[in-house]
Amino acid sequence: MEKLSPQQIDTLHRHLLRNGTDEALLEELLDHLACEVEHYMWIGLPFETALEKVQLEASPKAFKYLRKTYQIELTLSEKQLQQADLDDIVFQFRNKAYGAYDLRQEYRYSLLMAMLMTVGLVMMMMSLLASFSAGKWNYLSVWGAIWTAGLICFSYALGTCVRQNIQQKYRIAR
Amino acid sequence: MEPSGNEFLRGTLKTIVLKLLTERGRMYGYEITQSVKERTQGEVILTFGALYPVLHKLQQEGLLITESVEVDGRLRKYYTLTPRGNEAAIQKVSDFERFVEVMKHLLQPAPALSLGQ
Repeated sequence: MEKLSPQQIDTLHRHLLRNGTDEALLEELLDHLACEVEHYMWIGLPFETALEKVQLEASPKAFKYLRKTYQIELTLSEKQLQQADLDDIVFQFRNKAYGAYDLRQEYRYSLLMAMLMTVGLVMMMMSLLASFSAGKWNYLSVWGAIWTAGLICFSYALGTCVRQNIQQKYRIAR
Repeated sequence: MEPSGNEFLRGTLKTIVLKLLTERGRMYGYEITQSVKERTQGEVILTFGALYPVLHKLQQEGLLITESVEVDGRLRKYYTLTPRGNEAAIQKVSDFERFVEVMKHLLQPAPALSLGQ
Protein backbone atom coordinates (compact mmCIF):
# COMPACT_ATOMS: atom_id res chain seq x y z
CA MET A 1 0.00 0.00 0.00
CA GLU A 2 1.16 3.50 -0.85
CA LYS A 3 2.60 5.45 2.09
CA LEU A 4 2.52 9.22 2.45
CA SER A 5 5.73 11.18 2.69
CA PRO A 6 6.31 13.63 5.60
CA GLN A 7 5.68 16.54 3.21
CA GLN A 8 2.37 15.07 2.13
CA ILE A 9 1.35 14.52 5.75
CA ASP A 10 2.32 18.11 6.43
CA THR A 11 -0.12 19.29 3.76
CA LEU A 12 -2.90 17.50 5.61
CA HIS A 13 -1.69 18.94 8.90
CA ARG A 14 -1.99 22.44 7.50
CA HIS A 15 -5.46 21.69 6.23
CA LEU A 16 -6.49 20.65 9.74
CA LEU A 17 -4.96 23.75 11.30
CA ARG A 18 -6.65 26.01 8.76
CA ASN A 19 -9.97 24.57 9.82
CA GLY A 20 -9.29 25.27 13.47
CA THR A 21 -9.00 21.71 14.71
CA ASP A 22 -8.94 21.26 18.46
CA GLU A 23 -5.60 20.12 19.83
CA ALA A 24 -7.21 17.11 21.48
CA LEU A 25 -8.25 15.82 18.07
CA LEU A 26 -5.37 16.92 15.89
CA GLU A 27 -3.14 13.81 15.85
CA GLU A 28 -6.09 11.51 15.45
CA LEU A 29 -7.68 13.42 12.59
CA LEU A 30 -4.33 13.66 10.86
CA ASP A 31 -4.07 9.90 10.92
CA HIS A 32 -7.69 9.62 9.80
CA LEU A 33 -7.27 11.88 6.79
CA ALA A 34 -3.94 10.29 5.92
CA CYS A 35 -5.62 6.88 5.91
CA GLU A 36 -8.30 8.22 3.59
CA VAL A 37 -5.73 9.66 1.20
CA GLU A 38 -3.84 6.38 1.23
CA HIS A 39 -7.05 4.55 0.52
CA TYR A 40 -7.75 6.68 -2.56
CA MET A 41 -4.16 6.26 -3.72
CA TRP A 42 -4.48 2.53 -3.26
CA ILE A 43 -7.45 2.40 -5.63
CA GLY A 44 -5.31 4.18 -8.19
CA LEU A 45 -5.63 7.94 -7.83
CA PRO A 46 -2.49 10.12 -7.88
CA PHE A 47 -1.69 11.93 -4.64
CA GLU A 48 -2.97 15.36 -5.75
CA THR A 49 -6.37 14.04 -6.75
CA ALA A 50 -6.66 11.94 -3.60
CA LEU A 51 -5.73 14.93 -1.47
CA GLU A 52 -8.25 17.13 -3.23
CA LYS A 53 -10.98 14.56 -2.71
CA VAL A 54 -10.22 14.20 0.98
CA GLN A 55 -10.01 17.95 1.51
CA LEU A 56 -13.33 18.35 -0.25
CA GLU A 57 -14.90 15.81 2.09
CA ALA A 58 -13.26 17.32 5.17
CA SER A 59 -14.88 20.65 4.41
CA PRO A 60 -15.32 23.57 6.81
CA LYS A 61 -18.89 22.35 7.23
CA ALA A 62 -17.68 18.92 8.33
CA PHE A 63 -15.36 20.56 10.86
CA LYS A 64 -18.19 22.72 12.12
CA TYR A 65 -20.26 19.61 12.69
CA LEU A 66 -17.33 18.02 14.48
CA ARG A 67 -16.96 20.98 16.83
CA LYS A 68 -20.67 21.00 17.54
CA THR A 69 -20.92 17.30 18.37
CA TYR A 70 -17.70 17.46 20.35
CA GLN A 71 -19.08 20.23 22.52
CA ILE A 72 -22.35 18.42 23.04
CA GLU A 73 -20.66 15.14 23.97
CA LEU A 74 -17.87 16.49 26.11
CA THR A 75 -19.48 19.33 27.98
CA LEU A 76 -18.84 19.47 31.73
CA SER A 77 -20.88 16.99 33.76
CA GLU A 78 -23.16 18.09 36.62
CA LYS A 79 -20.51 17.20 39.14
CA GLN A 80 -17.75 19.06 37.31
CA LEU A 81 -20.01 22.07 36.87
CA GLN A 82 -20.48 22.36 40.60
CA GLN A 83 -16.74 22.59 41.13
CA ALA A 84 -15.98 24.72 38.09
CA ASP A 85 -15.50 28.47 38.33
CA LEU A 86 -16.51 30.92 35.63
CA ASP A 87 -13.09 30.72 33.98
CA ASP A 88 -13.42 26.97 33.57
CA ILE A 89 -16.78 27.40 31.88
CA VAL A 90 -15.66 30.21 29.60
CA PHE A 91 -12.49 28.35 28.60
CA GLN A 92 -14.07 24.93 28.31
CA PHE A 93 -13.50 24.64 24.57
CA ARG A 94 -10.91 27.36 24.18
CA ASN A 95 -7.18 27.15 24.11
CA LYS A 96 -6.07 27.29 27.74
CA ALA A 97 -2.40 27.17 26.84
CA TYR A 98 -2.60 30.45 24.97
CA GLY A 99 -2.22 32.45 28.19
CA ALA A 100 -5.51 34.22 28.82
CA TYR A 101 -6.69 31.44 31.09
CA ASP A 102 -3.60 31.73 33.29
CA LEU A 103 -3.90 35.51 33.41
CA ARG A 104 -7.48 35.24 34.59
CA GLN A 105 -6.69 32.55 37.11
CA GLU A 106 -3.92 34.62 38.65
CA TYR A 107 -5.72 37.93 38.44
CA ARG A 108 -6.82 38.14 42.09
CA TYR A 109 -3.40 37.19 43.34
CA SER A 110 -1.63 39.69 41.09
CA LEU A 111 -4.01 42.40 42.23
CA LEU A 112 -3.29 41.64 45.87
CA MET A 113 0.46 41.78 45.29
CA ALA A 114 0.15 45.07 43.41
CA MET A 115 -1.86 46.51 46.30
CA LEU A 116 0.76 45.37 48.81
CA MET A 117 3.50 46.98 46.74
CA THR A 118 1.64 50.25 46.48
CA VAL A 119 0.80 50.38 50.18
CA GLY A 120 4.39 49.53 51.05
CA LEU A 121 5.78 52.23 48.78
CA VAL A 122 3.40 54.87 50.14
CA MET A 123 4.32 53.97 53.72
CA MET A 124 8.02 54.29 52.91
CA MET A 125 7.51 57.61 51.18
CA MET A 126 5.45 59.03 54.01
CA SER A 127 8.04 58.11 56.61
CA LEU A 128 10.82 59.53 54.43
CA LEU A 129 9.00 62.84 54.01
CA ALA A 130 8.17 63.00 57.70
CA SER A 131 11.76 62.44 58.76
CA PHE A 132 13.00 64.98 56.20
CA SER A 133 10.76 67.68 57.61
CA ALA A 134 11.73 66.71 61.16
CA GLY A 135 15.39 66.78 60.15
CA LYS A 136 16.36 63.60 61.97
CA TRP A 137 16.07 59.84 61.46
CA ASN A 138 15.32 57.30 64.14
CA TYR A 139 14.39 53.66 63.51
CA LEU A 140 12.73 53.45 66.92
CA SER A 141 10.26 56.26 66.26
CA VAL A 142 6.73 55.79 64.81
CA TRP A 143 7.92 56.82 61.32
CA GLY A 144 10.80 54.40 61.58
CA ALA A 145 8.37 51.58 62.33
CA ILE A 146 6.18 52.60 59.38
CA TRP A 147 9.26 52.64 57.14
CA THR A 148 10.20 49.11 58.21
CA ALA A 149 6.66 47.81 57.75
CA GLY A 150 6.44 49.41 54.30
CA LEU A 151 9.76 47.94 53.31
CA ILE A 152 8.69 44.47 54.40
CA CYS A 153 5.38 44.76 52.50
CA PHE A 154 7.08 45.98 49.36
CA SER A 155 9.86 43.46 49.29
CA TYR A 156 7.52 40.56 50.11
CA ALA A 157 5.21 41.46 47.18
CA LEU A 158 8.11 42.06 44.82
CA GLY A 159 9.74 38.80 45.83
CA THR A 160 6.62 36.71 45.21
CA CYS A 161 6.05 38.40 41.84
CA VAL A 162 9.58 37.63 40.70
CA ARG A 163 9.32 34.07 41.95
CA GLN A 164 6.03 33.54 40.11
CA ASN A 165 7.51 34.99 36.95
CA ILE A 166 10.41 32.58 37.06
CA GLN A 167 8.11 29.65 37.74
CA GLN A 168 5.95 30.60 34.79
CA LYS A 169 8.91 30.81 32.46
CA TYR A 170 10.05 27.42 33.64
CA ARG A 171 6.58 25.99 33.03
CA ILE A 172 6.41 27.35 29.50
CA ALA A 173 9.92 26.13 28.71
CA ARG A 174 8.88 22.66 29.82
CA MET B 1 -28.71 5.81 4.22
CA GLU B 2 -30.59 9.07 3.76
CA PRO B 3 -30.03 12.03 6.07
CA SER B 4 -33.01 10.95 8.16
CA GLY B 5 -31.07 7.75 8.83
CA ASN B 6 -28.38 9.84 10.49
CA GLU B 7 -30.90 10.87 13.07
CA PHE B 8 -31.41 7.26 14.13
CA LEU B 9 -27.70 6.65 13.97
CA ARG B 10 -26.83 9.36 16.46
CA GLY B 11 -28.40 7.54 19.38
CA THR B 12 -26.86 4.19 18.51
CA LEU B 13 -23.32 5.32 17.78
CA LYS B 14 -22.03 4.41 21.23
CA THR B 15 -23.57 0.97 20.95
CA ILE B 16 -21.99 0.43 17.55
CA VAL B 17 -18.53 1.49 18.72
CA LEU B 18 -18.68 -0.59 21.89
CA LYS B 19 -19.94 -3.63 20.02
CA LEU B 20 -17.19 -3.42 17.41
CA LEU B 21 -14.57 -3.12 20.10
CA THR B 22 -15.83 -6.21 21.93
CA GLU B 23 -15.36 -8.16 18.72
CA ARG B 24 -12.10 -6.72 17.47
CA GLY B 25 -10.35 -5.82 20.72
CA ARG B 26 -8.21 -2.90 19.59
CA MET B 27 -9.17 -0.42 16.90
CA TYR B 28 -8.36 3.07 15.68
CA GLY B 29 -10.80 5.65 14.38
CA TYR B 30 -10.42 5.11 10.66
CA GLU B 31 -10.59 1.37 11.13
CA ILE B 32 -13.94 1.75 12.92
CA THR B 33 -15.44 3.82 10.09
CA GLN B 34 -14.18 1.31 7.53
CA SER B 35 -15.51 -1.73 9.33
CA VAL B 36 -18.91 -0.08 9.80
CA LYS B 37 -18.94 0.72 6.09
CA GLU B 38 -18.00 -2.83 5.11
CA ARG B 39 -20.47 -4.54 7.38
CA THR B 40 -23.38 -2.42 6.22
CA GLN B 41 -22.31 -2.54 2.56
CA GLY B 42 -21.90 1.21 2.53
CA GLU B 43 -25.35 1.90 3.99
CA VAL B 44 -23.95 3.49 7.13
CA ILE B 45 -21.12 5.97 6.70
CA LEU B 46 -19.62 7.29 9.91
CA THR B 47 -18.05 10.71 9.46
CA PHE B 48 -15.12 11.77 11.61
CA GLY B 49 -17.32 14.54 12.94
CA ALA B 50 -19.66 12.00 14.48
CA LEU B 51 -17.18 9.34 15.51
CA TYR B 52 -14.38 11.08 17.40
CA PRO B 53 -16.55 13.03 19.84
CA VAL B 54 -18.20 9.75 20.83
CA LEU B 55 -14.85 8.00 21.23
CA HIS B 56 -13.55 10.79 23.45
CA LYS B 57 -16.74 10.77 25.45
CA LEU B 58 -16.50 7.02 26.05
CA GLN B 59 -12.91 7.48 27.08
CA GLN B 60 -13.87 10.24 29.50
CA GLU B 61 -16.52 7.96 30.99
CA GLY B 62 -13.82 5.36 31.61
CA LEU B 63 -15.22 2.81 29.17
CA LEU B 64 -12.25 2.97 26.81
CA ILE B 65 -8.53 3.39 27.20
CA THR B 66 -6.19 4.56 24.49
CA GLU B 67 -2.64 3.99 23.45
CA SER B 68 -0.76 5.90 20.80
CA VAL B 69 1.53 4.04 18.43
CA GLU B 70 3.70 5.63 15.79
CA VAL B 71 2.78 4.36 12.34
CA ASP B 72 4.37 5.68 9.13
CA GLY B 73 5.58 8.87 10.78
CA ARG B 74 2.29 9.79 12.45
CA LEU B 75 0.62 8.89 15.71
CA ARG B 76 -2.18 6.37 15.62
CA LYS B 77 -4.49 6.20 18.60
CA TYR B 78 -5.85 2.76 19.41
CA TYR B 79 -8.93 2.29 21.58
CA THR B 80 -9.50 -0.70 23.85
CA LEU B 81 -12.41 -1.51 26.16
CA THR B 82 -11.91 -1.40 29.90
CA PRO B 83 -13.66 -4.07 32.04
CA ARG B 84 -16.36 -1.51 32.71
CA GLY B 85 -16.57 -0.84 28.99
CA ASN B 86 -17.12 -4.52 28.37
CA GLU B 87 -20.07 -4.58 30.74
CA ALA B 88 -21.49 -1.43 29.18
CA ALA B 89 -21.16 -2.95 25.71
CA ILE B 90 -23.11 -6.05 26.66
CA GLN B 91 -25.75 -3.95 28.38
CA LYS B 92 -26.13 -1.52 25.50
CA VAL B 93 -26.33 -4.19 22.83
CA SER B 94 -29.05 -6.09 24.69
CA ASP B 95 -30.92 -2.84 25.35
CA PHE B 96 -30.77 -2.00 21.68
CA GLU B 97 -31.93 -5.44 20.60
CA ARG B 98 -34.92 -5.09 22.87
CA PHE B 99 -35.61 -1.67 21.41
CA VAL B 100 -35.51 -3.04 17.86
CA GLU B 101 -37.95 -5.81 18.86
CA VAL B 102 -40.34 -3.31 20.36
CA MET B 103 -40.08 -1.05 17.33
CA LYS B 104 -40.89 -3.98 15.06
CA HIS B 105 -44.12 -4.56 16.96
CA LEU B 106 -44.89 -0.90 16.72
CA LEU B 107 -44.31 -0.67 12.98
CA GLN B 108 -46.20 -3.83 12.05
CA PRO B 109 -49.80 -3.22 11.07
CA ALA B 110 -52.01 -4.78 13.72
CA PRO B 111 -54.09 -7.50 12.00
CA ALA B 112 -56.57 -7.85 14.85
CA LEU B 113 -57.64 -4.23 14.52
CA SER B 114 -58.26 -4.38 10.77
CA LEU B 115 -60.52 -7.42 11.32
CA GLY B 116 -62.56 -5.49 13.79
CA GLN B 117 -63.58 -2.86 11.29
